[in-house]
Amino acid sequence: MQEQIEGAVDEELLKQSVLNNDEDDRRLTKLRIERFRTTHTLYIFLYSALAALQFIAIAFFTRGFLLSRKVLDDVANRDESTAPAKFDRLVLLVVDALRFDFVIPVDVAAEGYNSHYHNHLRALYERWDESILLKFLADPPTTTLQRLKGLTTGSLPTFIDAGSNFNGDVIDEDNIIKQMCLNNKTIYFAGDDTWDALFHPYLSNVSMPYESLNVWDLDTVDNGVISFFEDHLLNNPTEKKEWDVLVGHMLGIDHVGHKYGPSHFSMAEKQSQVDGFIRQIIDAVDEDTLLVVMGDHGMDHTGNHGGDSPAELESTLWLYTKRPGTWRRQAPAAYNTTELGRYYRAVNQIDLVPSLSLLLGLPIPFNNLGWPIEELAHDDDEWRLFTRQTLMQLETYRNTSNSITDSSKLKILEELKINANSNSSDAGNYQAILLEMYKDLWARFDYYSIGTGIILLIISLAMLITITRLIPSIVVGQMLSELVPTIIVMPLVSNVCFLGVFYVLRQPAFLQNWLWASLLATAVGIIIGFYVPIFDRYNLTWLVLRFGEELSDYWSRVAAFLITLHALIFTSNSFTIWEDKIVSFSLTTLGMLTLYEFVFLPKRHSTSAILAAALGEKEGTVSGISSGQANSDSLPLGRFARIVGGYHSIVLIVCTRLASLITICREEQGAYCTPTFTLTNNYSFSVMLGCLFLVFATPACIKGYYNVSSSYQAAAPIWIGMLMKSILFVNFIYWELKTFENTSDTHGLNLTIFNLTISRIVVGVSLVAANIGWMMGPLCIKLNVHNNDRRSQQATILGYANAYGAQYFLLVINFFMCILLFNKPLAQLSLFLMCNQLLSILEIFDLLKLKENLIGPVALGLLSYQQFFSTGHQATIPAVQWDMGFILTERITFPFTHLGIVLNTFGPHILCGISVALLTLWKQPPGILRANTLLARVVSNCGMLLIYQTVLCLSTFIWVTNFRRHLMVWKIFCPRFMFAALSLIVTQLVLTFITIAFASGRLIKQIDRMFWK
Amino acid sequence: MTTKKRPVGKKKFVSFSDDDALSRTGRLPKNLPQHGSPPVYVRRTWQTIPFHLIVLSYWFIKHSNGYDVRKCTWLLVPCQVLYLALQFNPATVYGNKILKLNYALLAVSGVTCILLTIPCMLLVVLFGAPFLEMLDKTWLLSLHCCVLSYPAVYSVLNSDFKVGFFKKYFISIAVGCWISCLAIPLDWDRPWQEWPIPLVVGAQLGAMFGYTFCSQL
Repeated sequence: MQEQIEGAVDEELLKQSVLNNDEDDRRLTKLRIERFRTTHTLYIFLYSALAALQFIAIAFFTRGFLLSRKVLDDVANRDESTAPAKFDRLVLLVVDALRFDFVIPVDVAAEGYNSHYHNHLRALYERWDESILLKFLADPPTTTLQRLKGLTTGSLPTFIDAGSNFNGDVIDEDNIIKQMCLNNKTIYFAGDDTWDALFHPYLSNVSMPYESLNVWDLDTVDNGVISFFEDHLLNNPTEKKEWDVLVGHMLGIDHVGHKYGPSHFSMAEKQSQVDGFIRQIIDAVDEDTLLVVMGDHGMDHTGNHGGDSPAELESTLWLYTKRPGTWRRQAPAAYNTTELGRYYRAVNQIDLVPSLSLLLGLPIPFNNLGWPIEELAHDDDEWRLFTRQTLMQLETYRNTSNSITDSSKLKILEELKINANSNSSDAGNYQAILLEMYKDLWARFDYYSIGTGIILLIISLAMLITITRLIPSIVVGQMLSELVPTIIVMPLVSNVCFLGVFYVLRQPAFLQNWLWASLLATAVGIIIGFYVPIFDRYNLTWLVLRFGEELSDYWSRVAAFLITLHALIFTSNSFTIWEDKIVSFSLTTLGMLTLYEFVFLPKRHSTSAILAAALGEKEGTVSGISSGQANSDSLPLGRFARIVGGYHSIVLIVCTRLASLITICREEQGAYCTPTFTLTNNYSFSVMLGCLFLVFATPACIKGYYNVSSSYQAAAPIWIGMLMKSILFVNFIYWELKTFENTSDTHGLNLTIFNLTISRIVVGVSLVAANIGWMMGPLCIKLNVHNNDRRSQQATILGYANAYGAQYFLLVINFFMCILLFNKPLAQLSLFLMCNQLLSILEIFDLLKLKENLIGPVALGLLSYQQFFSTGHQATIPAVQWDMGFILTERITFPFTHLGIVLNTFGPHILCGISVALLTLWKQPPGILRANTLLARVVSNCGMLLIYQTVLCLSTFIWVTNFRRHLMVWKIFCPRFMFAALSLIVTQLVLTFITIAFASGRLIKQIDRMFWK
Repeated sequence: MTTKKRPVGKKKFVSFSDDDALSRTGRLPKNLPQHGSPPVYVRRTWQTIPFHLIVLSYWFIKHSNGYDVRKCTWLLVPCQVLYLALQFNPATVYGNKILKLNYALLAVSGVTCILLTIPCMLLVVLFGAPFLEMLDKTWLLSLHCCVLSYPAVYSVLNSDFKVGFFKKYFISIAVGCWISCLAIPLDWDRPWQEWPIPLVVGAQLGAMFGYTFCSQL
């Protein structure tokens, strides 16, 4: 642990003796440093290229999967063109999953007849003269939430509605419920609580939402709706007009479908119940009331929905009034009920919005793309009125949104519009074409883009594996000078080729514009540029064989197993929901395995993987021996080392378990999870006490880890003992003030200015000043001079053994302090535990001599995910802690709000990304490995962390594509895919620009210059 | 594979000394640790197949009313003792000998098993079991696991502590539990997903595997 050098009195002398004044040596040193600088730059280029490739892959996939629509916040206003109301009141009954063939008469002998779900719900068809029954075509995805959005806004919902709202799920764009509310209509609601989530501000307080998640419960919601209707409509015929709009949403049929499938006797019971209920309502409504019964989607033969098969899309719309002569029916041939109503007249679901608006005399919601249903107008004059109003609204929307840019399309639209204005019966064409164009823009998966994204990501994964595991890191370092030039040149060449082909032949067509063509060209160029020099040296068989060899040692297998386990989580929604538990379970498992290793010390090749210190420069040879076989006889761990190792394993396990107590539960985890990351807990007295405790505990713990290698010298006490402690204390004051604001009446005190000042000081010091300070190179080394007697003076360098690691960790501390500010008190406690876990992991893999193994980065990757969950996050959109964006500023200001949210959400990922270099540098004494070797290892470890993140991202890509029609895709899989993509991007940026470019190069250069003999 | 021959004509001394043990290692499995430990091992025989566990698991899964772990554990105790006496102990060779059942040791290892439930429970909690609620069920689970490992505990106590041979029995039970955790998060809402039923079944399967195959490894 201590290196003794004799004859040196002070640092200056030492430096000189080390550097040697000899002219030749100095030249050599200069040359070496020059070479190191070149290699370092080339590494940055290589990783930037890899990052670019992965970003392009993500961009292609995202483009194909998430077609985004710009939400316009405009609200339609009532003006003179608004048609007068035909009805005063509306009763709207939504029957979830009411497939069209449930309500029409089906011949018993007909093909596809099923006694369980046909001919039970006759009420709609029997009142043929007073009503209109239509087939109601939904747009995929056929899930209730998306359908309700479509049914009320008249638009096509896509997953990301870009005008993002910070406030949960409430629809912020214009919709018919909002219009009703704006036009002073009282809305009573009972049923599925999705309505409450979406329209809460517009619904009356009397409303009764019921939980919709529990699909095993067939009756609660329906009985609730029925009793609500009984109170306010059925048993209350003389009631004064307490409501204008009465909405019910029944879930029974949908739940029977989910639970048993449609072909079950309880479906018949449920349908009969609904049938009776509708008959009661029919009897109760008066002439001024419009009764609408509809389904939001259908169900397939298994009873599920979410996809785009006809059975899932075909639902029912039924409008009823007692006022005679309201409807104008088309020729009877249009209402053909044979073959389960296959040829029956169908309208689009979004057509309901303009239809209802016109009937109730409301302005049509701004974003509507639907077209009024023709039967609603009793004569041509009225129809002209309807079409004119809808056309005006569509025009306004098209001009405001301005998203159709193709000139030929615009031309077609102009022609149709002129046509429509002159002839109202043709006007529907305009809407149909417009809708088709918008559908093209939004509601379709682009499989070419998705495929391209997945393939590019697979190739980037192969590239990462090639340079980190298959080819020895030293050889990669030597090949850089061949790799980087081709990687730079080939994209240029392929850009020329692709753009040429694209402009002349317009192929490949799915790229649409030159930007995407150029991106694809760049990606292909990077791939070719990478593999040309590789295949120049190696052949494919060798690489494949090496891959098998690479997995031959125990710890690599454990790592590969953990990666696979984590990647396979996304194959099922239940595993994805419980990812937080599974990840901490994996990390505990890893801790247990290392504990087992230290306690029982089984004979293994890999435990002794490399005697990094003793072997020294032997590693520098171009041998291609895998690390597992480099030294096959085991290195016996000493008794003390085993105890220390066991202790660190236990620290890792216990901290993981403690941290996993902090959780913000997902909605889907339901009763099995009690959230601890709540507002009250966060600002409770005990947690604040804990925060005060960590002001002193964190520096003390870090000091303990430093003392192991007596590295708590020189810069370390200043950095950890003073700077960190004071910043943590200031941070504590900040959160104490926040708690005060949150929990008690502030007595008119305005603390905003204090808070902003404190937070800016913390960020300024930790992120800017401390990092600039770090660039100066704070050494954690002390020269101890013993003057035992006159002649032999001894100098001891304290902290020599951990010269790299101790200094590097100061950088981690800088980021740690900053990230702590952006986390709520409980999450701060979790991050304190993370600090211990991180250092223990480093110690463990140093003791096991697994500094170059895949397991190290995988452990850090697992740690980052475990901490992501225990700092109060979940992979869902509502779980993002938006309020953290307002720590530095009061309003949304470009870099600061975003910085806060990124540091809050990806804090653990950033910390682990920076720390991955420590796997190599921790406990690495200077002067043993060449600077280039050291850099090569750091870079290779970075690459391995990237492998982990890439595998996860790839797995989410594949599974979210596979489940694109799954019921839960927009709630579970899609947010997880977005999170995986974002964490890959963040990791990639942190590794390339902070770990490799900023920190490692500078540190290695500095220490190398100082100590190289 | 099977070695039916028992050492005939036992001499009247028991020695754990290295030299003596090593000189008689003719029929030892090759991969047995050769240094410093007397050759304690379980013979490679099908005699050790725990039939009672198969029956018990079947009963637990199919016929026990509402997956009664408590009852299952009570039933398991005599089964395990009998299994140790009739199957496991006769197949275990201590320094080339097969020792008769030591009744005092039976009781001692029983107590050891109960004491072992505490570290076992700690382990389960560390892996993520509920911290404060359902401690009784967690304890029941660890008791079940410990009873399952009863023959191995007995053998460890019967031989030198340093013998690492019986480690794999404990590991196989633990791995059984580990794998069975996969069933917990699935959203099937089945009664058997209740804590700790999947782990109990997993431990039984792990023990089944362990007692059947660990001697072969």
